[in-house]
Order: sequence, then structure tokens, then C-alpha cells
Amino acid sequence: MTIKIAVIQFPGSNCDLDTIHVLNNVIGVEANLIWHNHFKESNYDGCILPGGFSFGDYWRAGIIAAYSPALEEARKMLKDGRPIIGICNGFQILTEAEFLPGALLKNDSLKFICKWVNIKVENNTTVCTNKMKVGDVLSIPIAHAEGRYYTDKLKELEENNQIVFRYSTENGEIIKEANPNGSMENIAGVCNLEQNCLGLMPHPERASESILSPKKTIHGTIFFESMIEFIKGRSISAKSN
Amino acid sequence: MPRVISNGNELDVDLTEPEIKQIKNLLERDPTITEWGMFDVMHSEHCSYKSSRPKLKLFENAEENYDYVLAGPGQDAGVIDIGDGYALAFRIESHNHPSAIEPYHGAATGIGGIIRDILCMGVRPIALLDPLRFGPLKGNSHSQWLLKYVVKGIADYGNCTGIPTIGGEVEFDKSFENNCLVNVACIGLGTIEDFEHAPSKAYNPGDYIILMGGSTGRDGIHGVTFASRTLTEMSEADRPAVQIGDPFTKKMIIEATLEAIKTGYVRGLKDLGGGGLSCALSELTGDGGTGAKIDMTEIFTREPGMNSFEVMLSESQERMAFIVKPEGLEEVLEVFRKFEMAYAVIGRTDDSKVLEVYNRDKLVVSLPAIALSDAPTIPREEKRPDYLDNLIAQKTPELSIELEEIIYTLIASENICSKEWIYRQYDHEVGVRSVVKCGEGDSGVLRIIGTNKFIAASVGVNSKHCFLDPYEGAKGGLVEICGNVIANGAKPIAMVNCCNFGNPEKPESFYFFSKAVEGMGDLCKALRIPIVGGNVSLYNEDEVTNTLIKPTPVIMIVGLIDGEENIITMPFKNTGDDILLIGNTKAELGGSEYHSVIYDLEGGIPPKVDEEKIKNIWTFIRELYANKFVKANHDVNKGGFIITIAEMCFKNKMGANLDLNNCFDEDLRDDEILFSESVGRFIIETNSKDYKKIMEIAKNFNVNVKRLGVLINKPELVINGLKERVIKLDVNRMKEEFDSTLPNLMEF
Repeated sequence: MTIKIAVIQFPGSNCDLDTIHVLNNVIGVEANLIWHNHFKESNYDGCILPGGFSFGDYWRAGIIAAYSPALEEARKMLKDGRPIIGICNGFQILTEAEFLPGALLKNDSLKFICKWVNIKVENNTTVCTNKMKVGDVLSIPIAHAEGRYYTDKLKELEENNQIVFRYSTENGEIIKEANPNGSMENIAGVCNLEQNCLGLMPHPERASESILSPKKTIHGTIFFESMIEFIKGRSISAKSN
Repeated sequence: MPRVISNGNELDVDLTEPEIKQIKNLLERDPTITEWGMFDVMHSEHCSYKSSRPKLKLFENAEENYDYVLAGPGQDAGVIDIGDGYALAFRIESHNHPSAIEPYHGAATGIGGIIRDILCMGVRPIALLDPLRFGPLKGNSHSQWLLKYVVKGIADYGNCTGIPTIGGEVEFDKSFENNCLVNVACIGLGTIEDFEHAPSKAYNPGDYIILMGGSTGRDGIHGVTFASRTLTEMSEADRPAVQIGDPFTKKMIIEATLEAIKTGYVRGLKDLGGGGLSCALSELTGDGGTGAKIDMTEIFTREPGMNSFEVMLSESQERMAFIVKPEGLEEVLEVFRKFEMAYAVIGRTDDSKVLEVYNRDKLVVSLPAIALSDAPTIPREEKRPDYLDNLIAQKTPELSIELEEIIYTLIASENICSKEWIYRQYDHEVGVRSVVKCGEGDSGVLRIIGTNKFIAASVGVNSKHCFLDPYEGAKGGLVEICGNVIANGAKPIAMVNCCNFGNPEKPESFYFFSKAVEGMGDLCKALRIPIVGGNVSLYNEDEVTNTLIKPTPVIMIVGLIDGEENIITMPFKNTGDDILLIGNTKAELGGSEYHSVIYDLEGGIPPKVDEEKIKNIWTFIRELYANKFVKANHDVNKGGFIITIAEMCFKNKMGANLDLNNCFDEDLRDDEILFSESVGRFIIETNSKDYKKIMEIAKNFNVNVKRLGVLINKPELVINGLKERVIKLDVNRMKEEFDSTLPNLMEF
């Protein structure tokens, strides 16, 4: 089967071309850049909402994009179980559109932070972690001003295993010192109940080529490869049905 | 300031009486008030370079003398051919006055302006670098306020537009306390075809002129004339002359412009910056040898009732002017509609060589296009200030403080300490090109995706050195910034500069500009580095406190690296390796951090550049690179080589055993050895088994190389062989001092 992934370009997206580059040239899967109000879900096996400052983020980050027709299309994908991934601003859009629980508030330092951090895998059955192990630590950069995760349903998320990544030390300790932005319980990424929709603040597309990575790791590729695996798995189960 | 009158309207203009006479003679009539405003702007120092142009002619013609230079000075940006079909554009510009009055929007719109300059060469902006200068932070809330909001302005604008800030430089000096310097540089990448599609001139009569982007408002009117005056107590009242930035619209302009160029129907392109529409239209038609008829009522304004004076002189941000082939008009407009960008077809070019602007059927402007874009020059006098001799004669006090204490103090000083507090706020990775990132090397290194080529870029200059000797200081700056890209493995291939100086009408201020330009011009010619562009910011004086800024000819160098394996980084890597010092250390403590931080002295003998020695060192280093001898490299800069070695130890928590016996001239004092800022030196790490071969090569190239010691697996610096005694430094403590200065000063 040929897999086709849409990368949605909102006005103000700025990691769109980076994500396309990694999918096309590093992972080797067909990915198309689609202007937000040209997006038609039926052509795609999955979609990625990339990082950036959609509509300038002059108001709450992601809120205007959450009302884009692209999100209506994406909602159809959500319902039939196709993958929907939000990276950074994409994560902010997915929480604003209520595909994912919680909200992303201003960093506790009140400043934009660009740095490499470590995140620990807490759930390896999701759309983007199925090729990882629980407890794996990924080296990956963040770059955001509004990434402090907050939810009033923490217990529910924990019970449902919806917390996918937490900021940690290199050795996987979940401690305050490893938390770059003040996120609740060091949360860096969450998924929906069905685990086909996932959002995270760090940038896997910036951690997919050793030349860009301080420790020469390529942990971001496992993220995208898991997504491909998830799509393949869906098509197999569709056939066997 | 002379006052002109037209039809009962009065206007104060920054023109001289001879200029006013010349304009009237040229037109053979009295200009309208709008025309006076346009002349005023276009003849301002900022737009016309009327004081600086005669000196800048000293630079050799880059386009004529270097076959890989595609666009040189006088264009919106310099453009070079880097092979594989790619063109690299880059430029540096100042936004000093606006930032001194309103740091957040001043800095942000500085970024906005430099991005447009790169964009109008038809290429995608891929990196920003920001050399900044403020007064000392300690105990000065004004300097802290300026730094905080300048950095935030750069971060908010650059981050939102998706252009990584990959480098920069910060200097703190009392002379910048009120007149801070905010310089902004941008690099763009595209194919040579993209570049050829977008010249900044309208050379074909009959094309459509489209204004695209933000609306035209009453902000920023006469921003350039404001920038062409010294700062006074009245400058606060000029705050409305500072534009307001809108990075989101800029991001959309970038995408819409690049997509419009891809249609093949764009024949010319120009951004609206200083001087607004007046400047853009007169340069497009003046440089293209055409004329144009403009219908002012087509221009979309932010508020009703704007008159022709306001419309033509508004410096509202985020606007681009397109010259479009008639047959492609609809296709280009369709691109603008996709990105939901506002646009207006405001007129057409013709062969009249006259720029005519109509307000409905009333002709409000009718000027020969060339008259605006070709302002006369003014010869300026220069005189070397007498006080320089006394400054240079200043002696270093006898050494009475423990060397360890001096080194710990130096590494924590504002000019030397870590700038992480700043660059953490910049997205320096967006674009997935950043290979050597902020804080990891002397320059920022970017990959060119799809090739095995890399570019290295660095900016800066030492203004303290330039103050004592602007000719040698500017040369030293060039050597140091080239040294930065060389340290990362690159070959310097082109230069742009941003000249920040004082009031050119004062001979003692103009002297510094004049000598610095001579220095840069001479050395670039000798080293075969083309100068492909520049920007001049004069009138950087604060009349309230009667302070002239230190002369600051900021230099930006772009270098090229062939192959990933040839990228060199700064951190020391292996225990037991040799630490080699390349280049000559002289008793040059004038303008050093040591003098300034420890003794509050500005004077002394500043470093001089020996062109032949520099050439030899560069060839020697290339030879070592070719032999794969170099494991780490860092150029010696502020604070001297001991600071350089400490910085190289930090990342891998290493240390060194140094023995300085027989490494330096006998008559040098201990502090001269350790803290001299002689230019053109490098510290490199090499395997000790290669030492003999390296020394043979050094002999061949007549380069002074000294083995200072070996690396140890312990965070400790031990220095033997000084006249005084053995000194010992704790690398962990040095790192703590290095890291904590800015956070301590800025977070409270």
C-alpha cells in the first residue's frame, strides 16, 4: 500500500516544511503540504498539524486555527481512527479544538525557551510510540513560549493511560529540575482515549537526523516510524475484517 | 532646521540651503509639500548616504572583481553564488535610534526590515544574527530594560516568522548607555533562478505596480529623518516615528512573495522600508530607467482621510511593491488571494522617466525618478582627536591582584560571560539546518539541504579597539570575524558591514568612520574577501550627556564548508591531546577586557594587524584541516587565550596542564601573556603524535605555533612557567561564574 500523509499549513505555520522534509527525505513516506482550507481528509491516511504561530498566536496560541475548516476534516479522521498528530503549535490547536484534553499555558519563566531536553515514554501503545518501550528516554528539542501543560482531569488521564511523554533527566527521573516550562506532572505529550490522536510540545522533526542532534541520536524517527506502523496495522486489520 | 513653504503649507526639512536651491533649480519650480517631504526623506543620511558615499567608494567593486558575486553594494542585499545552483543573499542593517527609544518595537521592526531586504532578492530568509550593544548592566536598570526588551522584540518577531536566530554578539560599554546599538543581519537561500527573477528595479514600461501586505497608516512617518539626527531630550517625543511590527503578516508576506516569484510573472520586487512608498517607487523606476503613474486612491490605508504627504511618506511595516508582467497579473493576484493578503494595483510603469502620483485627478507629485534616488554627496572633514594620544599612552598598573582572582573576574564579566540567557529565547533550530548551534562554536553553521555544503556565519567587532585606533581596530575586527568562521572549518567568502558612528558633521566623529572604512577596505582587498554590501548609521551621539558611541564597524562574514567531515567544533575532546597556540602574542592590552574590567582603563596600546602573518596563519590552518590534525578550534578573543582555553574545557568538563616556559617573548609581563588581545590567534587541540608534522608545516608557512600544554581528565587548569608562580584554577567554578552573570543581572 502507498501511505499518504497530509501536513496542514495554517497561516503562520513555520515547521511545515521541516516536517515535510523529514517525512519525505528521512522516513521515506509520501507527505503533502496542504493549505488549511484546501485540505480534504479522504485523500490521506493521516495528518500532522505542524509547529509555528498559526494566525500569529496573537490571542491564545492555536485558538483561531482550531476553527479552521481543516479541523472539521480532521474530525472525520479522528472518528474513523486515522492518526492525527499535533506538534508544538499543532498540539496547542488540538487542545483548543478539544481533540485532546487540557491546555497549554505560558511557560513559568514567561519566556520563549529553545533547548534540547529529555522525555520519557509512559505509554507505548499509541499512534506514535508503538515502536518504543515504556521507560525509553528520548533526546529532543523544545521551542515554545506556551508549553506549560495543564489539565483539571489529571487523575482521569493517568487512569486512562493518556499521558504519553513526560520531561525527565537523561536517566529517566521525572523531577522538577528536568521540567523546562512548569508543566503539570512534567507532562510533555498526551493522547486521546482511542490513542490515534497525539500532541506533544517537543519537535520530533528536529530530532530525526544525527547531524542536528547534540548526542547524534535520531529518536524523532521512531516517532514517525511508529505513525507509519500504526497506519499499516490499521490497513491489515481493515482487510482481516 | 530650514523651513519650506508651498501653497501655504509649511514643513521643517533636514535639507541644507544649497540642497534646497539645487532641488528648485532641478525642477524649475517650487516643489509641492509632498514633494518636499519626499526629497527630505530621500536626501536624509539614512537613505542617501550623502556623507558616507565618498568614503565607501574606497571599497573595491565586488561584482567586477569576484566572479561568484552576483549582487554587490547598492542593492538590497549582497548575493553570492555558492555552487550547486544556489544563491546566498545576506545583509546587515542598524535599527539603533528606534531601539533606543522603544526597544521592543524598535528591535522587532529592525528584524522585519532586514527580512524584507533579503526577501526582495527573491530568496527565502533562513537565518538571523544580531550584534547588540548596551551600557553596562550592573546597577543600571535602563540598560537592563533595553536588553530585556530588545531581546524580546527580536525573539517574538524572529520566532514567529520561522527564521532561526543562529548567532550574534553583545558588547557592554558606557558609551552605548543611551544610544544602544541594535544591528540585525539576515541570510537568505534560493536558487540562482529565484534570484534572477526578482531584480529591485522596474526596467520594463507597461508593467503593473502592485502594493501587497499591510495597510498604509500614519505610523513611522519620517522615521529615517529621525534616524539621521542625534538623540536629544526631545527624542522621546519621536516615539510615534517608531513603527509597529506584525510578524504574522510578515510570515504571510514571505510565503506569498516566494510563491508569486515561482509564477515567473514577477519582473521586479522592492520592500517598503525607510522612506516608504517614496523610496521604493523612486528606486524602482530610477534604477530601472523608467517612470510610473500612480493612483494614490488605490492604496489601502489604515484610516480615512490620509493626505498624499502621509501616504507617500508612511513607513508602515509589512509592505512589498511588485512589478508584474501584464499577462501574469491575474495569476500573481491569485497567489495573494490564497494567502489572504491585501493588495492593490496602484499604477503602471512607463517610459517617461518621471514619477507621477495622482490623488483622484489631481497631480500631487511629478518628479524625475532619478532626482530622488540620486542625492548629492557632501564632503565631510575629518580630524584625529587629540585625546587619543593620551589614551594610547596609558600604562598597565603594576600587578597587585592575584592572577586567579583576575581570571575569575574576567570570565564573569559582562562582555565575556555566557550569553545563554539571550539565545535560549531565540528559536535557533527552526528550518532544520542548524548544525553548530548558539553557544557551541565561534560561528553559526547551517547545512544546505540537498548538498554536502555548509555555511558558517559570524558577526561582530571590538569597539574598544576601534576607539583607540579605528584603522587597525576595523582590520582586527575583520580578522576576528573571519577567524570565527575559520575556527569552525569554513573558508571566508564574503563580507558585509554595518558602520555605526557619530555625527559626520563633526570632524572628530567623522575621523573614526573614515579610518574604519579605510581599514576594512584595505584588508578585504589584501585577503581577497569581497564586500558585498553594507549599511551606515551615523548620528549615534547622545546630546543630553554629550556622549559619542565607541566607533563600531560591525562585520559579518559568511564562510563555506565543503563536507560534513570538515566541520570543526570548539570543545576539547580527548585527554592527553596537545593544546597549541597559533599566532603571535604581543604587549597589546589597549582596549582589553583586562584593562577595562580590572582597572577601569580604556587606553593602552591596541592590537595591530600584520596582513602577511594573518594570511600565513589562515593557509597554515587550512593545511592542518586538510591533514585532519585539528580536533577542536576556538579563536582567541576578549580576555586573552586563557579565557579561550577555559571555554573549550567547559562542555566536556576537562582541564589542562599548561607550561608556558619558552612560549612567549622574554620581556612580556605575566598579565600581558595571559590577557593580551593580539588578533589573529587560535587555540587548537591536536593529537600529540602529530606534533612534529604540525611544527614542520608551521615552519614552512612561517607561523608561530607554541605547545602550551596537554588536556587532562579533571576540571582543573594548572599554569606553570609564569614569572610570578604556578597558578591553579577550578574549571567548575569558572563555568559557574561564566553562566551566572546574565541570569543574576536580568532575573530579579
